[in-house]
Amino acid sequence: MPSLVAAAFEAPYLDYAALAPEIVLTGVLLAVLVVDLFVDEDRKAVVAQLAGVGLLASLLPVVFLAVDGDDRSMFSGAYVVDDFALVFKALFLVSGYVVLLMSTDHIEEGDYWKGEYSFLLLSSLLGMVVMSSARDLLTIFVALELLSIPAYMLAGWRKRDLRSNEAALKYYLLGVLSSAVMLYGMSLVFGATGTTVLEDIARELGGDASEPLVALGIFFIVVGFAFKVSAVPFHFWAPDTYEGAPLPVTAFLSVASKAAGFVALLELIFMGFFGQDNVWQPLFWVLAVLTMTVGNLVALRQTNIVRLLAYSSVAQAGYMLVPFAVGGSSDEAAGTAQTAVIVYLLIYAAMNLGAFAIVMTVARRTRSGEISSYGGLFTYAPGLTVLMTIFVFSLAGIPPFGGWFAKFYIFKSAVDAGTGWALALAVVAGVNSVIALFYYAGVAREMWMQPVPGDDRTPIRVPPALGAALGITAVAVMAIGVYPQAFARLGDLAQLAVR
Amino acid sequence: MVAQNIVFGVLAVAMGLAAIRVVTTKNVVHAALYLVVVLAGVAALYILLAAEFIAVVQVIIYIGAIVLLILFGTMLTRAPIGRASDLDNDQRWLGVVVALLLLGVMGSVLADAFGSTKLPKAPQIQRTGDVGLSIFQTYVVPFEVVSVLLLAALVGAVVIARRD
Repeated sequence: MPSLVAAAFEAPYLDYAALAPEIVLTGVLLAVLVVDLFVDEDRKAVVAQLAGVGLLASLLPVVFLAVDGDDRSMFSGAYVVDDFALVFKALFLVSGYVVLLMSTDHIEEGDYWKGEYSFLLLSSLLGMVVMSSARDLLTIFVALELLSIPAYMLAGWRKRDLRSNEAALKYYLLGVLSSAVMLYGMSLVFGATGTTVLEDIARELGGDASEPLVALGIFFIVVGFAFKVSAVPFHFWAPDTYEGAPLPVTAFLSVASKAAGFVALLELIFMGFFGQDNVWQPLFWVLAVLTMTVGNLVALRQTNIVRLLAYSSVAQAGYMLVPFAVGGSSDEAAGTAQTAVIVYLLIYAAMNLGAFAIVMTVARRTRSGEISSYGGLFTYAPGLTVLMTIFVFSLAGIPPFGGWFAKFYIFKSAVDAGTGWALALAVVAGVNSVIALFYYAGVAREMWMQPVPGDDRTPIRVPPALGAALGITAVAVMAIGVYPQAFARLGDLAQLAVR
Repeated sequence: MVAQNIVFGVLAVAMGLAAIRVVTTKNVVHAALYLVVVLAGVAALYILLAAEFIAVVQVIIYIGAIVLLILFGTMLTRAPIGRASDLDNDQRWLGVVVALLLLGVMGSVLADAFGSTKLPKAPQIQRTGDVGLSIFQTYVVPFEVVSVLLLAALVGAVVIARRD
């Protein structure tokens, strides 16, 4: 009879310096929740300011850790703070800050729950920050739930608007379905390997041909994340959710939430399942082709700017799936593929947040999301028009704006891989970039060449917070486009250690 | 091991029948009660595998919380409690096909992987103490993250549900 008494408790090794960003962020979100209780209804802006300062405060330990430069690992490799983690923590915190800036006036003017909004935004960000360090199936899953569940509720934050309710419900139902599928896949992988730590999983699986159990597990996990990053054919929630949710939340979902899904995919594929490329490479190939093509073709027909950006973000996810489909052949290909995805995510965050900031600014005056309402924008809001042109051309991948460099890296990863399938994928991506140019240029044409609808030329007032958000994103897009080497280095540095 | 096999057989048949009734019964409340049978069967399977902690958690969460929530939800939203004829979805045959397909794929994969594995003669008892230790040692970060998650879910649920 085995003893029923458990072994004595040994405190685990905790590196508090490595956990500092998470600890500060948790402290801030609790402070936001408590302070919100004691602030009068007309002074709620204080809460949002506290949240913003808190986000910047939790960026400080990230910077210190980056300067320090040591890789820190806890729980036998389940929680790691390395350059990969730090780059993405910084990305999430900064884009969270930009979203908070974009929300300030939007939330102030609508009849929302302001304090709780900041609280939920911060908790979702905490999930993403944890995700950047997670190297363990369980931690990845828990982080994913923490970043998704507040997002489901934020999507329905306009409670009296039916479309917002629909947005939240669709997002929630498909989100939990994908979580369930993914969790089942994780349980199969755990059953095959007996461990949840990605490094150990890689060691257990080795480079051998996969047994059906592992193949099915990987398939389910990839399908689960395909929902999260809105890859075709799992994208049906995206356009409705993006259109119905409050605009800052849409920006948050299309940038931060999607990036977190890709972070998890990078960790899982290139650390845990690297030797099993015969399973996931074909899967990603199909996903990438479908996502790019369907996203771009449907985007062509959109007349609403938010739906256009929604389908464009589906298509952009397709480009980001390309390196996954070609990265399995060698360590070198894996390195190039990771750099390509990381660089694309950083640049995509800047240009997409910027485009949404413009849409919000313009919608404050026109109260419309139709592309036709952008007619003649140049005649009364030249500054915004120039910025929007920069953002859409960057999304289309035209030099000298950041986006061309991101696309260049995607093509480089496919061409470097050199196989017939990889080259075919590069051709599909190229054709899609040309298709995408049509609708991005359509927006620009509307702004520069069409007449003003209703001939109302009163200038648009840009609130300071939105202006700051626009400034940050515009500077980022320009800086990356003009001086891309710095970002390439960041992408090279941040590669996961594949072994 | 014969006794265990017999108990497993009985449980499996009972759970299978109850699961079929969950989707074929015309009464929402009956469906929820059949679900209790299925979930209690899962708990019994855990006990059979000497995983007592998971069995207790299964009872507390699935039967204690989730089914209760379904029943309360039915009661409070004034949904039809008696026989209802419109419970069936138009696409139920498609659902049946997909379900059978999944059953086939997952069943054959699991049989392929574990078909020849034998349970150890002396069952390896998973002690509740060990589960507790692993929560506070190996999995302390996910544990703390879950606590924030619950807080966020609570706050969000209050905002969404309250009348304003």
